[in-house]
Amino acid sequence: MFSSRLTTIAVALLASVLAHAAPPRAEVIHWWTSGGESAAVRRLADAYKSAGGEWLDTAVAGSEQARAVAVSRVVGGDPPTAALFNTSKQFHDLVEQGSLATVDAVAIRDGWDKLLPEPILDAIRIKGHYYAAPVSIHMPTWIWYSKAAFRRAGLTAEPATIDELFQDLDRLKAAGLIPLAHGGQPWQENILFRAMLANVGGRDLYLKILRDRDPRALQSAEFKKVLSTFKRLHAYVDGASPGRNWNDATALLITGKAGIQIMGDWVKAEFALARQLPERDYGCIAGLGPQVPYIVQGDAFVFPKSDDPQTAKAQQLLASVITAPRTQVAFSVQKGSIPIRPDIDQSTLDVCARAGIAILKDKSRVVGNDENYLTPDQNGALSDILTTYWNRDIQVEAVQKLIAVALTQ
Amino acid sequence: MTTRRRSRPGQYGAHVALLPMALTALVGYLGAMLWTLRVSLTSSRTFAIHDHVDIAQYARLFHNERWLLSLENLAVYGVLFVAGCLLIGLVLAVLIDRQVRAEAALRTAFLYPYAMSFVATGVVWQWLLNPSLGIQEAVRRLGLAGFQFDWIVDPDKVIYTIAIATIWQASGLVMVILLAGLRGVDPEIWKAARLDGIPAWRVYWSIVLPMLGHSFATAAILLLAAVVKLYDAVVAMTQGGPGTASEVPAKFIMDHLFGRANIALASAGAIVMLVTVMALLAPVVYLRGRSGASAR
Amino acid sequence: MTRRLDPSRVGLYAFLATAAAFFLLPLYIMLVTSLKPLDEIRLGNIFALPQAATFEFWRAAWSTVCTGVSCEGIRGGFANSLLIALPSTAIAIGLGALNGYALAFWRVRGAHLLFALLMLGAFVPLQVMIYPLVRVTAMLHIFGTLPGIVLVHVIFSMPVMTLLFRNYYATVPQELFNAARVDGGRFLRTFWHVVLPMSGPIIVVASIMQLTGVWNDYLLGLVFAGRDHLPMTVQLNNVINTTTGARLYNVNMAATILTALVPLVLYFGAGRWFVRGIATGAVKG
Repeated sequence: MFSSRLTTIAVALLASVLAHAAPPRAEVIHWWTSGGESAAVRRLADAYKSAGGEWLDTAVAGSEQARAVAVSRVVGGDPPTAALFNTSKQFHDLVEQGSLATVDAVAIRDGWDKLLPEPILDAIRIKGHYYAAPVSIHMPTWIWYSKAAFRRAGLTAEPATIDELFQDLDRLKAAGLIPLAHGGQPWQENILFRAMLANVGGRDLYLKILRDRDPRALQSAEFKKVLSTFKRLHAYVDGASPGRNWNDATALLITGKAGIQIMGDWVKAEFALARQLPERDYGCIAGLGPQVPYIVQGDAFVFPKSDDPQTAKAQQLLASVITAPRTQVAFSVQKGSIPIRPDIDQSTLDVCARAGIAILKDKSRVVGNDENYLTPDQNGALSDILTTYWNRDIQVEAVQKLIAVALTQ
Repeated sequence: MTTRRRSRPGQYGAHVALLPMALTALVGYLGAMLWTLRVSLTSSRTFAIHDHVDIAQYARLFHNERWLLSLENLAVYGVLFVAGCLLIGLVLAVLIDRQVRAEAALRTAFLYPYAMSFVATGVVWQWLLNPSLGIQEAVRRLGLAGFQFDWIVDPDKVIYTIAIATIWQASGLVMVILLAGLRGVDPEIWKAARLDGIPAWRVYWSIVLPMLGHSFATAAILLLAAVVKLYDAVVAMTQGGPGTASEVPAKFIMDHLFGRANIALASAGAIVMLVTVMALLAPVVYLRGRSGASAR
Repeated sequence: MTRRLDPSRVGLYAFLATAAAFFLLPLYIMLVTSLKPLDEIRLGNIFALPQAATFEFWRAAWSTVCTGVSCEGIRGGFANSLLIALPSTAIAIGLGALNGYALAFWRVRGAHLLFALLMLGAFVPLQVMIYPLVRVTAMLHIFGTLPGIVLVHVIFSMPVMTLLFRNYYATVPQELFNAARVDGGRFLRTFWHVVLPMSGPIIVVASIMQLTGVWNDYLLGLVFAGRDHLPMTVQLNNVINTTTGARLYNVNMAATILTALVPLVLYFGAGRWFVRGIATGAVKG
């Protein structure tokens, strides 16, 4: 509490120094457009305003579109003050081109190297310089379950191992429910795969496959088991799942028609819209077992270089404000994510977010998202193979080979 | 002598008038095509770089199962879509041309899908085609318990559903183009035919439709361009799924252009599509050019 | 002229009505969905009429739904869409008509080769042209401005517009044109007094295509129009297209119909230009 107060004062001081002339103006490109996301980004804008800045909002739905616009504006010589990216390799080409300004001053002042989870640091720190200001952490492979559906299937405890998960799925099926609510789109199938890689394969295999792209791990029996467990889940989805949006899958949990969904923590927004609460109406499980890795999917703002000293000031202020503890909490409550730093007041966060923060403190459980380790191109190729495997009858050995080729070429 | 002297200033005007087109064609399109060709021979990622990898991107393209499937899908889809739109558009245009009441309302009813963004209508089609929400469920509730219409979740049939939704969207436009052509037909022809007691369908078949050659050509080229660029409907309805079953080339190109940050591979894909189109259109253009020359 | 209601007319109307019903089915679903609260939509009967219809979501779509930090619905971009669409449509049609006229009636060396090249351009996925065009417009110092986006729209529409007019004029009897020329008409005078007056139906088609295309364009407006002139579709997409946020189907449907209203008005109203036989009238006159 005390330290957050201090940071706020520091921010205010910095702001007053910066604001001697016109207020620093920041045009920000981001893709947060839904109701909850919108409320969240407004917290950032408000914080920026109260620090003396002026926030010009350029919201562009769809992360790929938003990034494409940011890149074209950089190419066209009309860059925004800041643009949202994932903490991944997505903006590394921009860094290589020399198009991004660093936020070293803020990062060193606030001690980001000690504060931030490793996967985020690795993504934003290149050759010792910080090129992005992180703003949120999502975990894409939470296991959600409907309490009503569990009651109907006679299930009283939540699954604690992968075997129990499959037993529960069988019980749900026997009760005439859709065991696994799934939206049949490539990125959602990718989430199921990563969930199995984390829960069945464990941290070592997860990193060997995605980070090291280790040929032996890719050919191993353990990885084969991950792939076949992933495919085993297919027996528990309903026939109408292909093409379904993730939120329609969540609606199946909300109405008690389905039991379990594996999806990122943004589903909390759907539950909230339907006036359902964690613990009362639904449960959240970060991993099946105390050692299961916790996948960090981060969002961060990058700051295109500018000749205008005013813009540079606006960028430094922005980096400072959005990472401040108070802003972080206010933002996370709305977004459903968890803050990027542990030194915050947790009282307003929900039980799932608090569970996430607790796990995040255990460094041995934290791993990066697939996009941290793979290039967008490799990641896409992997996704193509996985979605084909999920939807067609293909031998697991053949899939294993295809993945090995796609990731090692 | 006199005509020649008079035509000169006019010719001059024609040259000036065609300047914007020349600039657009040469600087805009030819320039972009050459640029794309150049990029396709590099290993560019987010930005264009100027190294040389020869045809490595093309080799990767033709070893990529998703790309090959995309081409196959596009061939099937293209035939269905172009034929479907032309047929439905023609029938509607002819019927509306029969001096019906409420022509404006009917025309708008058939044309309105063209105004709707697929971002939202895609969701509606998803619902309609979804076996547990849409048409299948509705017909079953009416009593036909065995009725099955689940193409959108069937990898072997999903491409047909894309065709259905896009025909719905585009055939109104074909109708309007053909209607504009029909309205250009000399009323004297109709008067003469009525006097001779020739049935309307024969007048259409033997006299009017042959006169609409250019309208059909316009519509066909527009439809063909829409086939090559097919993207929105797939993204909105299936995201290329189930699996990769409804993937199409433009989506492959888009995915690699932006999300997958591989503009070299995307450019190679665009060039392949362009060459395919040229190969398809060259004989048509050649034949038409010859027949046009002999007619003049 | 009144017509007797003979069986073939009844069949004609029955067929047209059935066809219209099929075409209108998706619109029906959009309409009923836009009037239902989310809880009712979640029940999953897409055909059902709303239990208690409300226009709340239409109001939300127009003026209160969030599209980023601001929550002012899609109305904000309406003026921008008009500012972009009107000049883009007028200039594109003007140039298309001129091109079509020059190609169909005048012999200009190399023009047909240029036209073939232009038509090839209609098959280039416009996305691959974005980066080169960004550089070109940046060089001209119009990147991110209203003239910039209009220029981009004119470039992208030129193949189709030229094709429409060229093929339409190709059906006009050459004698008509020759007669006008012998009468002393020059290039522009002939165009203005003879060619344009008989172009009604094709101008309707061209405006339908161009206005719809520009009005519904999203990507080009986003990249080239600049922050101050973002079209309505950017807000529409912000309402509809969200990956990780909750989806408000009712508001989405209302917003889509609202956005489509401008082209729809054109479709409905432009029909009176679809009159028969202008071309022949002109021949005689």
